[in-house]
Amino acid sequence: MLMENETKTAQKIDSATLSTHGKLSMFNEGLKSGLANGQKFTELMDQLIDTTDGETLLKAARALSDFKLDSAYVTFPHQYQNADYYLIFMSRLLSMHDDEHAVLNTRTHSESLYHVFNELSDDYTFLYQIVDNENGGAYYHEQTTGENLFYVHLERRLLRFNSRAFTNLFINKLLLKGTGVDQINTVLATLINFGHYLRDDFGFNVDFNILDVDNAAKYELREANLTGEVVDKLFVTAAQHDYMLQNSPAGHGAEIQLPGSLTIDIFDGGKPTEAKWVLTVHDPDQRVSWFDVLLHFDFIRDWYLENIDSLEIKADPLVFA
Amino acid sequence: MEKQSQPDLEQNEQDQPTRALTDSLQQKLDYLATLRQAITAGDDRLIYELIDGDHYHQALLNEEPNATRNAQVNLITDVHPAISHYLSTKLIDYLAHEYPFFYYEEIQLGEFQIYFGNWWDRRRFGKLNVLKVAFEFSQEEFNKLQQTFELAASHKRFNTDGIQRISADNDQLQALIDAQGDRDHQKDDLRQQLKENGQRNSLFDSGRIKEERQQIIDQLTKLADEDEQANNAHATMKDNEAKILTLSKEDTILAYEKQAIETSFKSFENFNERNRSLYVDYLTTLIGKAQVNADGE
Repeated sequence: MLMENETKTAQKIDSATLSTHGKLSMFNEGLKSGLANGQKFTELMDQLIDTTDGETLLKAARALSDFKLDSAYVTFPHQYQNADYYLIFMSRLLSMHDDEHAVLNTRTHSESLYHVFNELSDDYTFLYQIVDNENGGAYYHEQTTGENLFYVHLERRLLRFNSRAFTNLFINKLLLKGTGVDQINTVLATLINFGHYLRDDFGFNVDFNILDVDNAAKYELREANLTGEVVDKLFVTAAQHDYMLQNSPAGHGAEIQLPGSLTIDIFDGGKPTEAKWVLTVHDPDQRVSWFDVLLHFDFIRDWYLENIDSLEIKADPLVFA
Repeated sequence: MEKQSQPDLEQNEQDQPTRALTDSLQQKLDYLATLRQAITAGDDRLIYELIDGDHYHQALLNEEPNATRNAQVNLITDVHPAISHYLSTKLIDYLAHEYPFFYYEEIQLGEFQIYFGNWWDRRRFGKLNVLKVAFEFSQEEFNKLQQTFELAASHKRFNTDGIQRISADNDQLQALIDAQGDRDHQKDDLRQQLKENGQRNSLFDSGRIKEERQQIIDQLTKLADEDEQANNAHATMKDNEAKILTLSKEDTILAYEKQAIETSFKSFENFNERNRSLYVDYLTTLIGKAQVNADGE
């Protein structure tokens, strides 16, 4: 920042008003600060790619994610995008925890990075897209489908998963087109682990959203005031699959017991004056999320997708409008 | 306490009607005292005998009707709701075992609404008359269930025909939508014919030409009607889908009800028979329990 101001000032003062020595001196100072900036950059790069200390890694990633390498006097022909440092950070953090499923690739003939997963075809490439407004942060973005799977803000230590993107990519594009549940689960596990590491290592505030396995998780439905008709549909389809939708003990709503001591509730968890329909998933080991239910129970998945306008799990509206 | 002996002392001095009155009042006091004691002692069998002794004697002891057994029952009609509430505890315990699929809600003191099952949107199935130990099923709901059992023989559900009819409607509407292109072609043809018809001018054949013209116009009108129907078809189809859902839901509920009855009673006939003998069955159980208690003492 300081360097930028200096060069601006330098440009303002008309060169004609300066002596030759003054001009040369200004040029030299511009080079020095540009080189120092480059030097600073390489130090951060060293940290990003080699440090074994988590906080150092996060700090380096944060600095690099909005680092301006070029100056008026010194520009660098070979550069990565700011978004790429998010990818490097993510890969480094995962590999510090021995998770190598997200493979970091470079494009030929250019300095740009992307993730692929061995479990998925190479048609699906993942990279970060920086948010270009005062909020900052970046989306983890799948390029073919354009889905933003999660939002991360390194400075504010925030991570938000997005139910719609996960449903569209992993269910509509992958599961329903023949990708196996095991493969999908491996990719999901890596993304979820990334959330855990951010939370546990750095104290990030993480909303796992549709992927939350906690029994206490209440997945909020898009249609807060759900019509009975949608529940009626589940009742009828469940009966056709030999499951009974029962009255919910949790209040106005319904409950269904699935194999593996799995209990799904859909009920109005709001106030008498303001309905707020939610879904909950209970299992003894707290290992099952609503997304897992969608992956494993066809009739529930069909019901969810057919009524997605009402049932879609709400993601953080601040970052997923 | 001392006062209680006074009526006896005075009895000889009373005239006959007064004596009759005091006797009558004494009987009432005795009746109420016995009822009070039965409630304190938790003797539900005795309470049932007291609130409708005539029915009790006929149903359980095969005795002839005798209205005098119920001489005092009018004394307690105002507290029937409270008695019903009191008796409901043991009765519902018993029913929960015999009719595991019924659930009860006390909508006001002593008044119990029956819910059939614990599934989503279970039906209100009528009321439980605790004093009479009888179900008073909603006739409409009961009839649906009865028909469900009857239709099962021909592998049909209560709404099978209704759903088929509406589905057929929807198929027809879909066909109407799909045929839009055909209709547009036909209309073009007919308009062309109409034009040609208008250009023909024959002195001798004018009647036939007019007739032909009318036929073409009729066909165009018919096609326009169909276009109109096709335009409204989406809304109608959506309504129909909602109707089908309602009917499917009802079928699902009825299937659960049927299944519940078959699990507990094997057949609808057995279920009805059990309902008819519910008073005798329950009172017999109470007598049996009293017997066991007496033997135990």
